[in-house]
Amino acid sequence: MSTLLRMEFNKLFRLTSVRFGLLLVVVFPLLWAYAPGIFEVYGFFLVSAFQVPALSLLSSMQFLLPLLVAITAAELLGVELSNGTMPTILLRPVTRPQWLAAKLVVVAVYPLLIMLVFLLASLLAGSFYGFGSFVGGTGLGDAGLLGAGVMQASAAMAELLQGYAVAALALIPVGLLSVLFTVVFMNAAGGALATLSVLIFMQLLIVFPRLEQYLLTTQLNAYQTAVNGLPWAIALMVVYSALFAAVAVVLFERKDF
Amino acid sequence: MSTPAIEAINLTKAYGGRPIIRDLSFQVNPGEVYALVGPNGAGKTTVIRLVSGLAFPTSGSVRLLGQDPHAVPAVRRSLGAVVEAPAAFYPYLSGRGNLRLHGNLAGDVSDERIDEVLRLMELDNAAERKVGVYSLGMRQRLGVAAAMLTRPTVLILDEPASGMDPLSLHLVHSVLQEAAQQGTAVLISTHHLDEVVAYCTRVAILEEGTLVDEVNLFDRRERFRASVTNAAKAKALLETAPFVRHVAVRGDDIVFIPTDADDIGRISVALAQADIGVTELSRDIFDLRAYYRERVGAERTRRTGTFPAPGPDGTSPGTRVTGSRSTRDSTGGE
Repeated sequence: MSTLLRMEFNKLFRLTSVRFGLLLVVVFPLLWAYAPGIFEVYGFFLVSAFQVPALSLLSSMQFLLPLLVAITAAELLGVELSNGTMPTILLRPVTRPQWLAAKLVVVAVYPLLIMLVFLLASLLAGSFYGFGSFVGGTGLGDAGLLGAGVMQASAAMAELLQGYAVAALALIPVGLLSVLFTVVFMNAAGGALATLSVLIFMQLLIVFPRLEQYLLTTQLNAYQTAVNGLPWAIALMVVYSALFAAVAVVLFERKDF
Repeated sequence: MSTPAIEAINLTKAYGGRPIIRDLSFQVNPGEVYALVGPNGAGKTTVIRLVSGLAFPTSGSVRLLGQDPHAVPAVRRSLGAVVEAPAAFYPYLSGRGNLRLHGNLAGDVSDERIDEVLRLMELDNAAERKVGVYSLGMRQRLGVAAAMLTRPTVLILDEPASGMDPLSLHLVHSVLQEAAQQGTAVLISTHHLDEVVAYCTRVAILEEGTLVDEVNLFDRRERFRASVTNAAKAKALLETAPFVRHVAVRGDDIVFIPTDADDIGRISVALAQADIGVTELSRDIFDLRAYYRERVGAERTRRTGTFPAPGPDGTSPGTRVTGSRSTRDSTGGE
């Protein structure tokens, strides 16, 4: 299994979508850090480096980050299908669940990795504003960017770390869903497209208030507003992840290659 | 009797209700080279994928060394296979890097063994180059090298020689032949009928997923043809001779398989002593190409009532070949 995991991580960093994604999460925060018209458009000024990560996250969590994660997850499997390497590997004494499990682990780790880079890049982009205590909020707490008085640097950092960690956890089921759809369609484009379609469809389901707390898309906002609290949101993310991974493995075991 | 290395039992595969492989049964024994030939779309690749455990049969079963490859994945430790044409590798790794990766997955493959298979397939000079820049033929040779990596007892290769120059083609066939001589069971699908005749033990002719015929080339290579003055009398005589394994009449000729090739002199003497004149005696060269066209054509005629007999490369030949010696042979049902 360790050979397979090493192999999969090695492949991850060779994927076009990963390289593009990493570039994007490095460049994206610069838009917020140096946006000259931010007051005219949004009515606030940035006063701390700790506010840039929140703006980066708020503006990308609904579509951009799920898109990056879904495409990467689909590509990780799809590239093996398109160049024919998967059957060759499956002829070795490696079971199908082992092979797919290695991919699922990498797909689950990828959001953590990209969010870490995103956070660091956002802090770096906002370093111009300084890392000291400031009057206002990070944008991820209850008081938003305006805050409630002076915010200590350590408290701001803790708030950002928690927010980014929860956002990363929420992206894991998105990646696993993309693997599941790629297994179903045996095609990377089909897998990514189906995942995004499901997410968009789920977002429409908020018109059924009773469903809202169970939706995966609701949990994508848990870094800011966790319906029913954070433990509930995290529990749902784990359930969704386990479900998507298990179904992907079961379907993959019965596939013809 | 030893366990067959590969066994397909009443194998049927259907996609969307449409059968691709129909009730196919065959065995490949250790030390044997078994070739699947047939036009494009005949189902050769599907058979390869079914017997290597990559696809699941709709009905019937597959055994590798007596085990179900789906139920006992460990049996694949004894398997070397190339199921993609051209063989698929990670383009960003070198030839050696790809083999090392395969070795790690298979376990217990030393660097010396990797060097050995690279030398065997004449890739030692290109070992450090990325596979992305390999030619089609080099990639195919690397595929055979990867298949040979674990010294498998079963080799399954889908068109291992496609896209190869004549020298590479000869190299691959030599390597496979040698592997079989050392006891490996080899199953290949191919369009190279001339090479198949040279070293394969048996050939299965597939058409529309059906096994049209299975030809024992070993017997064919040992077969002799004699033009005699009285074919019926010669047949009757040789049928009782202890040094003749099989005899049949073909027009004015007889075709026979001696128990041993050295017995051919004794057969000549026996015929002469029975006052049967022999005007010509020669090894009977089997024309698989003509036989293939005949059998596939006949199958298509039976099935559709038309005759678009394909060439071995899957294209329509334009003219029907009939009446040749070997074609007359082929209808003899040996």
